[in-house]
Amino acid sequence: MPTDTKRVRGPEVSKSPSLYLSKPPVVLPSHGPRADGRQRDQVDVRPVFVRCGLVSQAKGSAYIEAGNTKLMCCVYGPRETERKDETDMKCGRLTTDMRFAPFSCPERGSWIQGAQEKDLSLMLHESLQPAVCLHKYPRSQIEVNVMVLENSGSVLAHAITCASLALADAGIEMYDLVLGCSIQQDGASYVVDPSYMEESCSSVSSENQGCLTVAFLPSLNQISGLQSDGEMTEKTLTAGVRTCIEGCYKLYPVIQQALASAVRKAAPPPSES
Amino acid sequence: VHPPCFVQPRTAEPLEYHRSFLKENCRSDGRELSEFRATTLNIGSISTADGSALVKVGNTTVICGIKAELTNTTVETPGKGYIVPNVDLPPLCSSRFRPGPPGEQAQAASQFIADVIESSEVIQTEDLCIERGKLCWVLYCDIMCLDYDGNVLDACIIALLAALKNTKLPEVIINTETSTPEVNLEKKQSLHIHKHPVGASFCVFDDSILIVDPTSEEESLSTAQLTVVTDEEGQLCSLHKPGGTSLPGEKLQECISRATTRQREIQKLVDKVINSVKTAQ
Amino acid sequence: MMEVCGSSNVTLREFGCEQSLLSRPDGSASFIQGDTSVMAGVYGPAEVKVSKEIYDRATLEVLIQPKVGLPSVRERSQEQCVRETCEASLLLSLHPRSSLTLILQVLHDDGSLLSCFLNAACMALMDAGLPMSCLFCGVTCAIDADGQIITDPTAAQEKQSRALMTFAIDSTEHRVMMSSTKGSFSVYELQQCIAVSQKASEKIFQFYRDSVRRRYSKTL
Repeated sequence: MPTDTKRVRGPEVSKSPSLYLSKPPVVLPSHGPRADGRQRDQVDVRPVFVRCGLVSQAKGSAYIEAGNTKLMCCVYGPRETERKDETDMKCGRLTTDMRFAPFSCPERGSWIQGAQEKDLSLMLHESLQPAVCLHKYPRSQIEVNVMVLENSGSVLAHAITCASLALADAGIEMYDLVLGCSIQQDGASYVVDPSYMEESCSSVSSENQGCLTVAFLPSLNQISGLQSDGEMTEKTLTAGVRTCIEGCYKLYPVIQQALASAVRKAAPPPSES
Repeated sequence: VHPPCFVQPRTAEPLEYHRSFLKENCRSDGRELSEFRATTLNIGSISTADGSALVKVGNTTVICGIKAELTNTTVETPGKGYIVPNVDLPPLCSSRFRPGPPGEQAQAASQFIADVIESSEVIQTEDLCIERGKLCWVLYCDIMCLDYDGNVLDACIIALLAALKNTKLPEVIINTETSTPEVNLEKKQSLHIHKHPVGASFCVFDDSILIVDPTSEEESLSTAQLTVVTDEEGQLCSLHKPGGTSLPGEKLQECISRATTRQREIQKLVDKVINSVKTAQ
Repeated sequence: MMEVCGSSNVTLREFGCEQSLLSRPDGSASFIQGDTSVMAGVYGPAEVKVSKEIYDRATLEVLIQPKVGLPSVRERSQEQCVRETCEASLLLSLHPRSSLTLILQVLHDDGSLLSCFLNAACMALMDAGLPMSCLFCGVTCAIDADGQIITDPTAAQEKQSRALMTFAIDSTEHRVMMSSTKGSFSVYELQQCIAVSQKASEKIFQFYRDSVRRRYSKTL
């Protein structure tokens, strides 16, 4: 690996203390209630905390917290595009960048953007693009930056929700909000909005193993993004998509409320006097 | 009656706009010249990190997460561990930063934080040694700006100090038979913090007016910036002035005395927050 | 309070300077302080990249090349110090929308490197004939374990020191333009070091004058 000359360097190799545990880590049971007390096989999403307009420098911003998953999104633009291709003349360009803070996962991550982050950025881009009225912003670009501060599972789903909220907060014209929800299928049972532990360890034996993330436009009732990993039968998959949509609807009022309160704060209603 | 104003004076003539306030000994956001913005601190909010702190100085928001890892000691320094601080100014925090590797400002900030750690001896690297000549801790202190509204260096130092005070390292015993380390997550120890360095940043306006805790707008219009870092004993850990217009000695003295009072205020704040977290547990 | 050495006996190592020794750059200089040696080259005013263009003044870029290997974070922080010092003394508004590039190559490092960078930079800018409001020079002071101030320390002296400070002093009012410190020290020690540096700066400016005079007396 080439040495990184743009950061303060530490030792060549270092290992996480979790590799040398004196006691083996606890393995999650694959049945019964989940570690955080939620129910299996039910649309039991973690309660979310959302706020808009926290970042003073950004055009629009949003912060979302679901369980221990914490992420933040800032939107800059529309501004003049840096690259001037033929395609940009008529409609705007949406750029997405999703990153994990080095301390966001149980194992320390690198500062340099990895393949996973690039994949997630692309997924985010594809999920958001159908919702944004890009034709209204010719020759300009809108930048979406997502920073994962703590990864406790379902990052992509929450990143989609957070990013669409930040776009709305920035006043970018959109057809609809985009909400994200994911499930983890484990044999016959599934868990909605899985945590990091549930995502990383699942039993190997049975079929129908996989992870599904759906990006959903709630008022248009359309799906803008769908990502599925693992092996699932057609029936399980369609049922999974339906579960995810249900999960999105559970989020919807919270997101609407956050957006409404941000708007109210930005433009308070005229006083009655 | 005022004439109709079509242009915001702040956008058209930002320097004149700020000067009109400074003439009256105040600033555009209503602060006095030597007044800091409200500083708030939140610690331990990131459970995946061994220690973390979120600092807000006005709008400026900085988060610091500390991850401890195990590594071998070097032959040159067999009794010492490592502290690796890095400051990142991602494009998320302001439109002035581009994506990609850290720019000059972020790199200079990383070096500055590393120098402050070394100069102040906030942590002695000897404390991070587990077994001499074999095993030691490396503390990765990753500091990230989430909202850039000026004076990140001060915020970074506070975030780092609070995160270090929040850090707990698990006990490590080296198994004598297999000579492999064993980590016991149930027994955790706090780090020993030797000093409490705190910074105070200043901007020089029009080569003569000194203002404290500049916003990003004030920073970009100023002719010079400087940061003074002091510890609780009144010793200076750093006098960082990367160029700009020159400053007479008495102004420098003013900065130093303001920095010492700031040190006391911030140390009090950090201790208060640390204690409130301890009592809550 | 600790007794610090009187500011009357400021000792500097032997200085050496040669200007216009490179043919390609618009201005060049090499600066030698004892065994520390730095070569500087200035290019410009030249065309500037659109992304770096500043509408009302020239864009200055400083690049520091270490003796071996690639520049790291430390070099970047030194670049920032040198760049902002140069920006304050150069009259950049006379060359709007143009670029100035200053390259500093370390030839040998034996302590007081940052001050040598500053001195080499100033001589190279002078050689390039760029308009400046004042000259500047760099002085490094080390405080050793006994509290003695050593000006222009060698690498060995730097290593033994308790604190190390580098200042850039301007030629008009002898004030501090740039300050970069390592180690912890008291306010009194800082004042002493600044006073010593100001004394030393007079010597360095005299050296500047002598070496420029020598050079032009040769060409005339």
